[in-house]
Amino acid sequence: MTSTDTGQRRRGSDARPVITELIDEMTILAIAEEAWVSLVGEDEVLVPIPSELPGDILSSWVDVVGPWTGSVVLTTGRATAEELSRALLRESAPELLDDEDVADAFGEIANVVGGSIKAALPGPSGLSLPQVGNAPLVRNAGDLCRVDVVWRGEPLTISVQGALPPLPVPTPSRENEVPL
Amino acid sequence: MKILIADDSRVMRQIVIRTLRQAGYDDHDIVEAEDGADALAKVGSEQPDLVLSDWNMPNMSGIECLQALRASGSAVPFGFVTSEGSPEMREKASNAGALFLIAKPFTEDTFREHLDGVIA
Repeated sequence: MTSTDTGQRRRGSDARPVITELIDEMTILAIAEEAWVSLVGEDEVLVPIPSELPGDILSSWVDVVGPWTGSVVLTTGRATAEELSRALLRESAPELLDDEDVADAFGEIANVVGGSIKAALPGPSGLSLPQVGNAPLVRNAGDLCRVDVVWRGEPLTISVQGALPPLPVPTPSRENEVPL
Repeated sequence: MKILIADDSRVMRQIVIRTLRQAGYDDHDIVEAEDGADALAKVGSEQPDLVLSDWNMPNMSGIECLQALRASGSAVPFGFVTSEGSPEMREKASNAGALFLIAKPFTEDTFREHLDGVIA
């Protein structure tokens, strides 16, 4: 990512595959279901039906950098992110969750889902630490694979979205990011 | 037996401890470290019998911790518990001296499969 931006590099970028050539919705759903069973609980189900996200949402994501570069983003209502965090913490969940608990737990789910998606993509690739906040913008609608699910009756989306073309840095979408 | 669990996520450390218990390894001392540098220091101070470490962590990654341990002469048994489960990461882990790599998401069966024979 820090190498000199030569014409050769640009031509190489142009030849990059888009995510829909590399993975499909069913694979993403299967990966998410496996993560849910392991982290959230054996009886936890993700139902693949589209549903409207509420107004107050929170995202967690990891970046994948390699032959395909982009982000794996989980987005759900803030209250659902808190419920998910409680489900992960189980008996050790405090009565009142703070932002750090939610960032830790919701970020870890993105980390596990993102790591499995990265393993299903061409490598070698790097995986970033998870971030929580306002999701990175979708740069290219053609380089996007999104799965809408419902967990415990609440909507949640899993978006695998390309990072090209680049946006100016810093991006407004990350202003409210919570460092982990 | 003393087991050092290194992960920058407090939630994941708790899940690893819970899974160890569910897998039947419930009679061991647990020490926690919040990154590779903390793990490296605690291998020295706590003398664990086994290290279970995440890969991607701030300050010092799990693989950097393992390399630093081996460079210092420590032969402490070391395994990864990480979302980095690709073949190239497994090869890197093995080449650095890791005994095993458990990919997240895991189950208690995955733990038993890798830890039987490692944990007494």
